[in-house]
Amino acid sequence: MQILAARHLAKSYTDSAQTIEVLKDINLELNSADLVSITGKSGSGKSTLLHILGLLDMQNKGSVLINGEEVSASSKSAAKIRNQDLGFVFQFHYLIEDLTAEENVALPLLIDGMSHQKSLARARELLCGFGLGERLKHYSNQLSGGEQQRVSLARALVNEPKLVLADEPTGNLDPDNSLEIWNTILRLNKDLGQAFIVITHDHEAAKMAHVTYELDHGVLKPN
Amino acid sequence: MNKLESFFLRTYVKHPKRNLMRFSFVFMVLGIVLSVAILSAGLNLFEGYERTLKTVLLDSFAHINLISSFNEYMEKDRALDISKQMSDKDEIISATPCLSYSAMVRNEDKVRGAMIRAYLQVPGTKTEAPYLKYLSPGYDGLNEGSVYIGHYMAKELGLARGDSITVIYPQLDRISMLGLMSSEHSFAIAGIYRSGYYEYDRSVLITTPTAAQSLLMIGDEYTKVELRLKPAYVDKAKTLADQYSAQLGHSIVAQPWTISSEGLFRLIKMEKWLIFIIFSFLVLIAGINVISAVITIIYDKKNEIAVLKTVGASQSSIKRLLFFRIALVGIFSIILGQITGALLSLFIVNQNIYSLKGEVYFIDRLAIHVSPLNQLVILAVSSALILLCILVPLRRIDRMQIIELLRNP
Repeated sequence: MQILAARHLAKSYTDSAQTIEVLKDINLELNSADLVSITGKSGSGKSTLLHILGLLDMQNKGSVLINGEEVSASSKSAAKIRNQDLGFVFQFHYLIEDLTAEENVALPLLIDGMSHQKSLARARELLCGFGLGERLKHYSNQLSGGEQQRVSLARALVNEPKLVLADEPTGNLDPDNSLEIWNTILRLNKDLGQAFIVITHDHEAAKMAHVTYELDHGVLKPN
Repeated sequence: MNKLESFFLRTYVKHPKRNLMRFSFVFMVLGIVLSVAILSAGLNLFEGYERTLKTVLLDSFAHINLISSFNEYMEKDRALDISKQMSDKDEIISATPCLSYSAMVRNEDKVRGAMIRAYLQVPGTKTEAPYLKYLSPGYDGLNEGSVYIGHYMAKELGLARGDSITVIYPQLDRISMLGLMSSEHSFAIAGIYRSGYYEYDRSVLITTPTAAQSLLMIGDEYTKVELRLKPAYVDKAKTLADQYSAQLGHSIVAQPWTISSEGLFRLIKMEKWLIFIIFSFLVLIAGINVISAVITIIYDKKNEIAVLKTVGASQSSIKRLLFFRIALVGIFSIILGQITGALLSLFIVNQNIYSLKGEVYFIDRLAIHVSPLNQLVILAVSSALILLCILVPLRRIDRMQIIELLRNP
């Protein structure tokens, strides 16, 4: 079942001197249970592509279809789609420092209107599944880098989204923690059929995905 | 308020130390506390002044004076008859015939204007000696040759209890070849009183009716009947005076205390609210500090704003979250400012460095009154100003793009 499709996406930035074409005619399709990785050099437009697919940024040309419906960052339904159908993991964990691990994970559920108790119960359940049962009441500054990123991954998954968009999720981690995150992604994909688009610099890790692409000078090429 | 907002609000209240006590709030809190404290202290002192002045004034002077329409003296029987008629009324505490006129007092080469007063007290009636409560302990009873004087008059003329004072009454209708004739009597000072009302303590001299009449060279006559009302009726003096005038006929005019003092109290009330408006500008200046704090907080929290936007929170919801957080600190600061203001005014009242000048302010002591209504007004106005100063910069959130926030963590 198709979750996401990108048709002829193009994005460029113009300053007073020149126009920089970041993405050129990108076409991509993603079905449930797909695990796609995108590699590319710094500045190749990987994050920009992910932001457009995640309805965080606007494309100049082309369209994004989620659940068969054409949407963009400016659509009225964008916030709802980001809350219910998409999950995000970034290179930096972006946990709210004044909230505990469980409260951070519960955020998407609270935004969706779930009660405090149910949201926290669901967050606890998920964090225990991620091996963070002892860290539920810890604040982000009391967690290690790997733990912070796992909490961030749990937050992306708590609303059971159709697709998780991960922008260099292991970029700030040591090899052991990177491997642990990748193993978690593979397990979730295999056991739950969770779809992922993972952007990474790490070509070896990218090979663990079902489909790998390389973004080169704004052009998306299958590997 | 949606689930997210109520969740955050609960978190703020549950863990105030972690969520509300931030360095970025320090100067904002200080600004609000100081400005509200000054506003509150100013109003507490003004309210205290107004109330003390009114109390002292209404304690020292009659609430309603019943005088002859033609400014003539009243025979003793007529005065007592009026006193008896008034005594039957529930609202009246006392109805005392009084002889009152202007004179001069002298001690050696010091001469002052004075107001001579003598009260007729008849046992078994509602007549009283209103000055007794002001007398310093150890005073002697009044007789034909003695007087009570106020402590300011004693101070200015250099007199003490047991000294003598000369009272001069110029007889304006008796001019001889040598000039103006005058009555002159020497009195022993039997006691010194202190009412707290400067003008009263400086100018009123109290003696017996016989001594006052002798100085004036009149018979057993009085200038007025002084009425004192129960506290609940004091503010209705004007209406009651109209009723008494109608009841007593054309020969007697009832003059309520408001005739001479209403303007003064209106002026004080106006000054109080002017002070309030001026000091409210201090809160507005503190509000500028709040604007700067809110901008700093938005900058500090840009990652949180980005995350919340990314996971689907609406702009308005994010604005409300920040608003609740800063508003809680703001309201707490205002209340802290009000408490500081009460303590500050208490300190001002109890200090010995500065005291009121009675000749300028009518009373010579500072007083404080923390009126619940005033405090509510301060809370409402300060909250409105501070909350407005929080809301204005929060509009910046609308212009913040998630993508910009994520790119520059």
